[in-house]
Amino acid sequence: MAEDKKAPSGGGPLGKPGGLYDGVKLSRKNADLLAVASIGLLVALFIAVLLLADGFTVTFDAQGGSDVPAISKLDYGATLPPADPPSREGYVFTGWYRDPSCGIPWDMAADTVTEDVTLYAGWESAP
Amino acid sequence: MNGYFKRKAEEYRALDGADRRRYWTDGLLNNALYILMAVFIIFTAVVNRNFLSASSISNIVTLAAASLPMALGIGGCIVLTGTDLSGGRVFGLTAAMAAAFLQNRAATKLIFEHLPNTSGGWILAVLLIVMLVGAAIGLVNGFFVAKFSLHPFIVTLATQLITYGVILMFFQINGNGGGPISNVAQQFKDMVSGPAIRIASKNVSIPWYVVYAFILVGVMWFVWNKTTFGKNMFAVGSNAEAARVSGVNVFKTTVLVHTLAGALYGFAGYVEAARLGSITAATGLNNECDAIAACVIGGVSFVGGTGNIGGIVVGVFVLRIIFVALNMLGINPNLQFIIKGGIILAACSLDMRKYLARK
Repeated sequence: MAEDKKAPSGGGPLGKPGGLYDGVKLSRKNADLLAVASIGLLVALFIAVLLLADGFTVTFDAQGGSDVPAISKLDYGATLPPADPPSREGYVFTGWYRDPSCGIPWDMAADTVTEDVTLYAGWESAP
Repeated sequence: MNGYFKRKAEEYRALDGADRRRYWTDGLLNNALYILMAVFIIFTAVVNRNFLSASSISNIVTLAAASLPMALGIGGCIVLTGTDLSGGRVFGLTAAMAAAFLQNRAATKLIFEHLPNTSGGWILAVLLIVMLVGAAIGLVNGFFVAKFSLHPFIVTLATQLITYGVILMFFQINGNGGGPISNVAQQFKDMVSGPAIRIASKNVSIPWYVVYAFILVGVMWFVWNKTTFGKNMFAVGSNAEAARVSGVNVFKTTVLVHTLAGALYGFAGYVEAARLGSITAATGLNNECDAIAACVIGGVSFVGGTGNIGGIVVGVFVLRIIFVALNMLGINPNLQFIIKGGIILAACSLDMRKYLARK
């Protein structure tokens, strides 16, 4: 085969016995040590992120109304605790929405927190 | 089955003290990742009741199905002792192409203005187009690896960057200015991400692409185990020189493995376009890392020539479960990247230890 003349190993750097670890010089004891150390590191990582876990934060964008403080440290699947609605001169609050254009409403009773979210206040001109 | 355990027990009784110690350390270390993940999953299930709910399980299955095609593609490259770093970007490019080709024709802002109306035939044609584009990039990867003896890490790193350049240019077409490509046709969404199975009482549904992913697993199992190409791939992976001597066309096999991988990224990108309905230039970033991690967890070894489809499926699911669990425990998504890196590192050092212990 013509291609094999140019690349005598045929297939380039692939398929050496031992593959990616071809030529690794490590005693069996050190290999064990490496394995234990890497698993230990991974366990430590898991513990560290669990300790750092601070739940989910819901921030409120009042869209011109009075500020509403964010709620943090919410568990996965939690519903939002009842809060005072924001106020805005000349407008009536219509509820919280998932999007700034107020197309998708957030149902306080049924919708649950599964990630960090920002909710947007909906306003209607006061009659 | 019973006889197998009896034989194993007899083998174990025949070992002396030092060998018995070896037996336990080997067993413990070879399965350390699975043990760790099992502990973590049990911990999550205890802490958060939602983890085992029907909606959470369907979520895991759905996410796993979306990342399966890529892992199946990259698996072949790892069997050859290589890898493919271009996967994520090829995925991004094909997703963007599928979304652009299948935009709702009635939408105001279109990437391509003169395309056929959305129909079943056109939807299938786009699947073919994006798989061909993926395959073409894979062909380039495979050609450079096989012909010029360049390491896949380098070749695919280069194609990763080139593909990203193409992605950025693609997002500028028709005055799009780099914005997301959205307004994907509903008919396309229905065919790919529409519900295949719906359990109304539990309020969960399984989309069609889960079914497609399982069909793909079947096809890939057949390719790996029952075709000459599959057998050649394992032969080249375990020892290319020996494979060549016994008449395997190493060049053709290497090119084909990479081409097949590219076509599978194309498939994954196509599904993503329907799944998300809005594709950005960042879509697919680092997706190859997930796929590589899933393969290594699933026992596809960088030693080459070892691995099976079942292992990859398990790897994909384990990784998905871990990330859904991390999310449920309220862990910042930024930290999840650190965990992913840790998993790849640990999986590779265990893989290497296994190889050195056998030597």
